[in-house]
Amino acid sequence: MFKKILRQNEAYVFLLILALSIVIGMRNPSFFSFENITGFLKSYSMIGIMSVGTLFVLILGGTDVSFTAIAQVVEYAVVVLIMKFGGNILVAFFEAAILGIVLGLINGLVIHKFRVPIIIVTIATFNIYFGMLYVITKGKLINNIPQMFKDFGNILLFPQKSAIGGTYGLSLMPLIWLAALILGWIVLRKTMIGRGIFAVGGNEIAAERIGINTFAIKLFVFGFVGFLAGIAGVVHVAIVQSVVPNIIVGKELEVIAAVVIGGASIFGGRGTIFGTFLGVLLFAMLNNGLTLLRISSYWYSVTIGAIILIAITVSAYQRLQRAKTNVKVQIQE
Amino acid sequence: MQEFLRLKSIYKSFEGVRALKGVDFTINKGEIHGLVGENGSGKSTLIKIISGFLQPDSGKIYFEGKEVSHLAAGETTSWGVQVIYQDLSLFPNLTVAENIAYNEMLEKRRPFIDWKEIEHIAKSAMKKIKVDIDLAKLTEELPIGTQQLVAICRALTSDIRLLILDEPTASLTKKDINNLLGVMRDLQSKGISILFVSHKLNEIFDVAENITILRDGSTVGTFPSKSLTNDSLVELMTGKALTQVRHSQAQISSRITLEVRNFSKRYNFKDVSFNLKEGEILGIIGLIGSGRTELACAIYGISPPDSGELLVNGKPARIRSVQDAIAAGIAYVPENRLVEGLMQKQSVMDNLNAAIMKSLSHAGYIPYPKRLNQASLWINDLNIKVSHPLVPVQTLSGGNQQKVVLGKCLATKPKVLILDSPTVGIDIMAKASIHEMIRSLADEGISVILISDEIPEITNNSDRILLMHAGKIRAELDAAKIQLSNLERMMSQF
Amino acid sequence: MKPLRFFQSNRSLYIILIAIIILMAILNPTRFFTVGNFISMSYQIPIIAFLSFGSMIAFLTGGINLAIISTTNFTGIITILALRAISGQATYEASVSSSIIALSVGLIAALSIGALCGFLIGYLEIPAFLVTLGIGTLLNGVNIVITKGYTISGFPPFILDIGNGLLWGIPIPFLIFIVASVLLGFLLTKTVFGISLYLVGSNAVAARFSNINIRSVYIRQYMLSSLFAALTSFVMMGQLNSVKANYAESYLLVSVLACFLGGVDPFGGFGKTGGMVLSIIILQLVSTGVNLLRLDPYLTQAMWGLIIILLLGTNYIRSSIREKRRLSAVLQEAKSNPSATNSASLL
Repeated sequence: MFKKILRQNEAYVFLLILALSIVIGMRNPSFFSFENITGFLKSYSMIGIMSVGTLFVLILGGTDVSFTAIAQVVEYAVVVLIMKFGGNILVAFFEAAILGIVLGLINGLVIHKFRVPIIIVTIATFNIYFGMLYVITKGKLINNIPQMFKDFGNILLFPQKSAIGGTYGLSLMPLIWLAALILGWIVLRKTMIGRGIFAVGGNEIAAERIGINTFAIKLFVFGFVGFLAGIAGVVHVAIVQSVVPNIIVGKELEVIAAVVIGGASIFGGRGTIFGTFLGVLLFAMLNNGLTLLRISSYWYSVTIGAIILIAITVSAYQRLQRAKTNVKVQIQE
Repeated sequence: MQEFLRLKSIYKSFEGVRALKGVDFTINKGEIHGLVGENGSGKSTLIKIISGFLQPDSGKIYFEGKEVSHLAAGETTSWGVQVIYQDLSLFPNLTVAENIAYNEMLEKRRPFIDWKEIEHIAKSAMKKIKVDIDLAKLTEELPIGTQQLVAICRALTSDIRLLILDEPTASLTKKDINNLLGVMRDLQSKGISILFVSHKLNEIFDVAENITILRDGSTVGTFPSKSLTNDSLVELMTGKALTQVRHSQAQISSRITLEVRNFSKRYNFKDVSFNLKEGEILGIIGLIGSGRTELACAIYGISPPDSGELLVNGKPARIRSVQDAIAAGIAYVPENRLVEGLMQKQSVMDNLNAAIMKSLSHAGYIPYPKRLNQASLWINDLNIKVSHPLVPVQTLSGGNQQKVVLGKCLATKPKVLILDSPTVGIDIMAKASIHEMIRSLADEGISVILISDEIPEITNNSDRILLMHAGKIRAELDAAKIQLSNLERMMSQF
Repeated sequence: MKPLRFFQSNRSLYIILIAIIILMAILNPTRFFTVGNFISMSYQIPIIAFLSFGSMIAFLTGGINLAIISTTNFTGIITILALRAISGQATYEASVSSSIIALSVGLIAALSIGALCGFLIGYLEIPAFLVTLGIGTLLNGVNIVITKGYTISGFPPFILDIGNGLLWGIPIPFLIFIVASVLLGFLLTKTVFGISLYLVGSNAVAARFSNINIRSVYIRQYMLSSLFAALTSFVMMGQLNSVKANYAESYLLVSVLACFLGGVDPFGGFGKTGGMVLSIIILQLVSTGVNLLRLDPYLTQAMWGLIIILLLGTNYIRSSIREKRRLSAVLQEAKSNPSATNSASLL
């Protein structure tokens, strides 16, 4: 039983997180403080939400790089819409969802109808969405976002007074991240569509043969990615309390790396919600740890890169070792 | 016997080429029916029509005696027709339980999954053929024989009346094959009809009551299997009488080209030793799982042995890579032509030249005319039917593809040529031509190791035979003196 | 998913090229067709061209080089550090020989990265996506740590010339581009290494059985890809007179785009420099055209994306027509010569 757990990728990430917590915590015990934990969870909520979508695409068997552009476009659009037509936070999320889904569905449509690798199409749509965003907005920042977003971002559960007079607590953003994780888990584990994603990712030809509607599955996956990207965009506005049109893009590889470290296979067919959560958590803790340990943030990429390399090397080495002990022939004397 | 499905005068064309020309076919309830035919005979098309995947252009179909006017896509599934393709169409990343239950869950059209129900469906399917597979295991973790059983269980979850097995035994061990044949008889006793497509004629004879032979898109006829012999069946399939001539070695020189001493590799083979003379054809007969391919791969440098020695022409050779093997004069025609032998989408020319590019080059540069000429040499020499050397090798027939692989190996001017199951999936006429080629190579002085699990192929073409089983050489036999039946007995002893 | 194979010939690309030139002629005759404009374009093409070649080389075996941008920046950073080591603080005064030595050090740095990538891919059998993602991220971090995010400038005349100089009236970077294209084309189609790349790309397992040392191929492949990263860096150093950890970040996607436009199969086995050159020129023309029309330069980006989608669509239509024709042709041959062809697989 233990052996099976240890074989799982998630176990290693979990151990790594534990080790990291101990290392950071020993040097700077404020790591374990409520203020700190809620802090880094909040700042990584956006990436966390998007990572669920990335997991779905990886299970399907490809990599999507357009989700950051979708998040960027939707973020801008929703803020502008609210500024023009008013609305509360639920309206904002609703608009974000619709817009995100539409942009995502375009991906799904092209990918299925033209039978093209996911990465090609999403590179193209990335350029289209991001390019058009800049053409229309001329890269203008929006600093005076409607107060409604700021208020939403400032809601705190279990508020506490901090030493320097401010308040801290659990923001709603990590809860939205949690909701995304739960939603993802339910879909993957409890719905036929979710199993269909695994099926298509495992053997698309077989999936078509037994009558799975692969078109519907793809539309769903990319629509879902768009949906999550849209939600993440609104969350982002609430967190940073301004709209900067080029701050989310560029994070695609980071999100993909987090999901892969969490155990999703780039060949498709495999991946878990828990692993994805652990992957993002690891990155969040690393970032936070660097700050707490007064290590310059310049070392963030180096650390992430090193972790990726170590992870893939160890996993490859294990695979090669397993191949050596693969019993091909039952030798009899 | 009650009639289950009858096809009459079925015609089917693709883009103006007639694949089926007036095919008649009947299968009764509870019958095991064999379907044989060469590549291009229309077998696959017929299967696709029976399974409902394709619609016939014209002809009549009778289901349980009643004529069916219009065949809707997939309608045959509702009659209880299920196909298991050679690739099994399983989901490697899903559990056994899920794979078995998937079809049924799809039909129920419920959005949510009840895992208990999946387990229940899987368990009852397994019960039908009395197997017990670990439901929680991922399908890819299972050996291929077990995977096949999973595929059959999945087919059994519906109300199945006709099970179509398309080349099911290609990569199975003897034990798995016997297991499968047993399962087929078991299903038959429950009233399920089975259509069994295979090119392994001995298996067809083993279980099928009746055999339908297709040739060039038409039915040659349907015969009770008892009324046919292997030879008569082959003759009906090809339209030509085939005489199997035993290879008689002209002169085998006494020079020893290859010496293998105490080759051992954990989990692969143990203590293998043998000699190979110049111009000799050494047959290694053994089933899948006996270690024969693993042995070949060790000699060829793909997966070097843990211990043992190899001598080529008396000189010790340390072979740790394919480059070492080729340099030592050893070449290998792999067991799996498509995966290991050919770069499918590349040209015939590039495939033929692949192993000798360095020798064609000058400081890395290879002039194009040289590549073309070199390839054309082998195309002519081996009589490879191809319109132009630049066509992708995947457009060639199986026999011609194998000739390309052979040409690629021969271009390295080997002293030892190892052929691993070289005629699998190749038409009977092409098979004979390849055997002839092997014999003439031996006559020219090349030492040949012929690995196969087909007894006639080994006995007709070898000078000496090694019997391999469970990782060791169990017997060495003189091919001229061996009796076919003896060899069969020896193989089944293990 | 069925493997994708773009244009067998470059016919479609020529058509697009001519279409765009005509479009420019209609919209912007006076400013587009000037010597000045063409010279300006020929200064800009090489950077994206070299990155695209670098990406293309990785795609030939079905791999990808996600580390190409950070390798480019790394080369530049190592070069300026080497210059500092040789010439002290006044790097902008370094002699030609010092410059060459520094550039060589940068080149060696790039090649080492490539060799490391190829090693992990070949010996440990780790997918290229993961290897180059890890190395790319790590290298990016190293670049940031070394430069602390700052720009470092002060390149000597020799290096500035590589980016900005003229030789016989032609911009030097463009000359390098032409020479590199020709040499790469030669390397890929007429040498053992080049042909091996395509074979490994089609089926690495079979290539191994066919006496090709695939490990060595992978190492040389990623070294070659990194060589182009180094070339990119040389030109960038010359043109920008500076290096930074995050230059050219957005170019990764563009280089991949250029590869697909140029007919490279991302699953491996196909792709020619001819198509690449056409595709790069097309992308540059679009970019310049948009600039000359005083349109928002970001429109370029959107247009590139749109071109790809349109091409994917038309290619799909054309390839299904082609597939139908091929099918009937093979079936015709099967009818007349039943034993020679593999018609069974089609029926």
